[in-house]
Amino acid sequence: MKRNIFFAIAALATLSLHAEEKLSVVRVNITSQPWDFLRPWGKKQPTTKRAIGAVLEGGKVLVTGDLAGNAAFVEFEAAEGGRKVPATVEFVDYEANLALLKTDDAEFMKGIPQLAVAESSLGDVLTVWQLESNGRLLKTDGPLTTAENFAYPVDGAFLIYRMTVQLQGRDSSFTLPVVHDGKLTGVLMAYDNASNNANLVPAPLIQHFLKDAADGKYDGFPRAGYGMSAMRDPALRRYAKVPAEVTGGVFINNIAKDGPAAKAGMKKGDVLVGIDDLAVDQDGNFPHPKYGKIPAGHIFSTMHFVGDTVKLHILREGVAQTLDATLARRAPSDYVIDPYIMDKAPRFYVLGGLVLQEVSRQMLREFGADWLRRAPERAVYMDRYQNELFEDGPKKIVFLTRVLPTPATVGYEEVTSIRVTKINGVELQSLTDVPAALEKPMNGFHKVEFDEDPKTIYLDAAQVTAVEQQVQQQYRLPTLKRLE
Amino acid sequence: MKFSWLLISALAVSSAFAQQAEIRKSLARINNTAQEFNYRVPWLPGAIGGGSGTGWAVAKDRLMTNAHVVSNARLLTVEKEGDPKKYVATVEFIAHDCDLAMLKVEDKDFWKEVKPFPIGGVPEIETTVSVYGYPIGGDRLSVTRGVVSRIDFRTYSHSVMDSHLCIQIDAAINPGNSGGPVLQDGKVVGVAFQGFTGDVAQNVGYMIPTPVVRHFLKDVSDGKYDRYVDLSLTTFPLQNPAHRKALGLPDDDRGVVVTEVGSASVCYEHLMAGDVLLKIDNVDIASDGLVQLEGERVILAEVAERKYKGDVVKFDILRGGKPMKQEVTFKVPFPYTHQANSYVPPRYVMNAGLLFQPLNRNLMAAYQFQNPRVMYFFTHFVDDELYKDRDEAIVLTALLPDPINTYLDEFREGIVESVNGKAIRNMKELADAFEQKTEQLVIEFEGLGRPLVLNAADVEAAKERIRKRYNVQREANIAEGIE
Repeated sequence: MKRNIFFAIAALATLSLHAEEKLSVVRVNITSQPWDFLRPWGKKQPTTKRAIGAVLEGGKVLVTGDLAGNAAFVEFEAAEGGRKVPATVEFVDYEANLALLKTDDAEFMKGIPQLAVAESSLGDVLTVWQLESNGRLLKTDGPLTTAENFAYPVDGAFLIYRMTVQLQGRDSSFTLPVVHDGKLTGVLMAYDNASNNANLVPAPLIQHFLKDAADGKYDGFPRAGYGMSAMRDPALRRYAKVPAEVTGGVFINNIAKDGPAAKAGMKKGDVLVGIDDLAVDQDGNFPHPKYGKIPAGHIFSTMHFVGDTVKLHILREGVAQTLDATLARRAPSDYVIDPYIMDKAPRFYVLGGLVLQEVSRQMLREFGADWLRRAPERAVYMDRYQNELFEDGPKKIVFLTRVLPTPATVGYEEVTSIRVTKINGVELQSLTDVPAALEKPMNGFHKVEFDEDPKTIYLDAAQVTAVEQQVQQQYRLPTLKRLE
Repeated sequence: MKFSWLLISALAVSSAFAQQAEIRKSLARINNTAQEFNYRVPWLPGAIGGGSGTGWAVAKDRLMTNAHVVSNARLLTVEKEGDPKKYVATVEFIAHDCDLAMLKVEDKDFWKEVKPFPIGGVPEIETTVSVYGYPIGGDRLSVTRGVVSRIDFRTYSHSVMDSHLCIQIDAAINPGNSGGPVLQDGKVVGVAFQGFTGDVAQNVGYMIPTPVVRHFLKDVSDGKYDRYVDLSLTTFPLQNPAHRKALGLPDDDRGVVVTEVGSASVCYEHLMAGDVLLKIDNVDIASDGLVQLEGERVILAEVAERKYKGDVVKFDILRGGKPMKQEVTFKVPFPYTHQANSYVPPRYVMNAGLLFQPLNRNLMAAYQFQNPRVMYFFTHFVDDELYKDRDEAIVLTALLPDPINTYLDEFREGIVESVNGKAIRNMKELADAFEQKTEQLVIEFEGLGRPLVLNAADVEAAKERIRKRYNVQREANIAEGIE
């Protein structure tokens, strides 16, 4: 606060002609260039998006993670005057959809007032900030109508604020700061023209994100690692031996292997009735003092940090127990099929013309908005049910995604979109196992095995080596493999 | 005067005219009053509708037509041109897998002046054929001409899952033409049966060629239709030189490798994945999977086309590099019981307002499931050998809302795994499990961590309530359906 006042005075001193306050925003121009997961040797065409970033403590700028994804170049542009400086992404959380940007040009940030972050209450009138092309701030008010758990763009659900606001179209429509009482209370991540509903990444997530990042090491939002069913059904309550005097509780139907709940000793069939001193109702909600009933997942992900211990109060066969769970985050790479891959190049290996890749949802999403129907159906199935299908491995699914016709792959052109299980008898835990497996050809052949038709094919090991250069030149591949 | 001139011109073409008249007398328009099953409300008798098609005398007292013309028939009548009477017909044999059927007409009057059509061979490409029938419901016979454009293996759209030899002609085949004869030189060379359903082609019609017709006639000659047999085998071409070398094969363009033999396949225990098939019935198998049969290169599956239940097929194979001979006796293959079509009465079990139905093509069509697990069970039931754990996948397709099931919606589209701890293999077992006198019914579903629990007393109390509220006329049909 003191700093704010100081800056305000300084601004008055130097720009006395301007009666208006100095804005706590910068324009952010981000050029992102994602990798092409269907042609894993290259990147796609770069695209540039503009946004308005909120200037926070320390001169850091907050935007959505969505915007910062696969950033190739970031620059800040002064709200007024159009001066531009290069910037970088300091921290990004794609799940919580937040990114913190900074510039090394201290001069540029000088004099820009910094916003504090504060929660709002339902019914508060929030203000969305947009910029006119001349740099004038355009403020539009609307009420905060709802706080609820909602699916975030990449994976998982978190709290959102939803407000009703009639926004005008402006060129910088990706990521807008939303302010209440002079403090940042949310970042607008989605807006629907028809209903005038705006979804915000709310202050509790922003505060969590900033606090986590404050020590320079970012851990992310933790989870407990269980799945649950609502427990309104009296027959189910009786089956689970829930005493009549207990009114709440949910049925635990799934426990992530090696997750916090599993490590705490939670079992399928347990009835979760409380977390720390908060009661869990029949639908899995708890009463939040500000937002009313919201899902208990919010307690783990947003009210706690990685490494915190929470008490899980359960009923097992009707008997009350308390388990201590130490919360952890499951990184996308900890999944058999990564729910998303950002800022990283996909792994691949071109074997004589066979293109081997690891299945990721990022790859499946390349098939478009209706990827659930258009992507290879086996891969979609494996992704959806990965927790039950691959409990005992492998670590990653190696897929033959396409065959580049070469002299070594004659007759194999039609073989595509199937899982590779072994090469030369070596079970593949991930694509990184491929080079070692190729070192032991069988009688001069590489034996490649799949889990479905055609089950087994062979490549001539000497021919694979001989055609390498040809494949690379013919298909203009910068490299034939990338394993990291 | 004018009259006599006409007579003379008629005399000049007398032989063709006489033939035309004979053809007319041996053709019939078939009217089918059908009742289509409703897989979403399986206890209902179904809506009454109908259609018409064409039939032709295949014997002195039998008509042949398409299976789809007479499917779900409740009453069949046949009419001949020049005869005002409507005769009642019955289905004697129906072959859904090749879309053919044979009809009986008891009334002897119908068969007066009827001459059975001689059955010919496969017409040459580019020759002309004539299609006889009653297209788009007309009362008078219609004849169109077309040229034989292509002869190949093609899916028969009646059952969707069967492929047989099929002849494409450039005469449009419209509804009502179905079942009618396609003639060349006074002989039947095909049975008109389907058009082209896409919008990219026009003037394309398809007919069932005589090898398929003869196959059907021979199959039913023992009084029972056994259906087409199938090798139920997947093979992979051996065109890659390294692949051939690795298997120790010479560079002679012969042989394919077996990739999958399901335990339900007739080849199971005779052929194994990895076997190289060199000959079938002493005919060489080329490395692309084609065999030379009667002067044509055809796919391996076509060899089975010429076989019947109980016939033997001989393979010359290499197993682990060693030459061997294997004989396989054809039985009715498994997938037929899994994938039905709309002519099968729906089977179901209803309990506590929960509707359970076996997963098959009809169910997929009726519900348009998007659930990936249901789609997986349907698509890979055979190739992933899901039949090892169950005879059929049973889906909870619908819940008739009632207090007893008001909190059970999350189980919709679930696939039944067990009831009270006992794995459920088929509809009969499910129905039996529901009859058990236990206090609770605990139903587990594939991949769902939460059981569906019903208290027996509540189920009993809900029974009559649900029955009345939703007019459920019958709570189960597990017997009917495809055998």
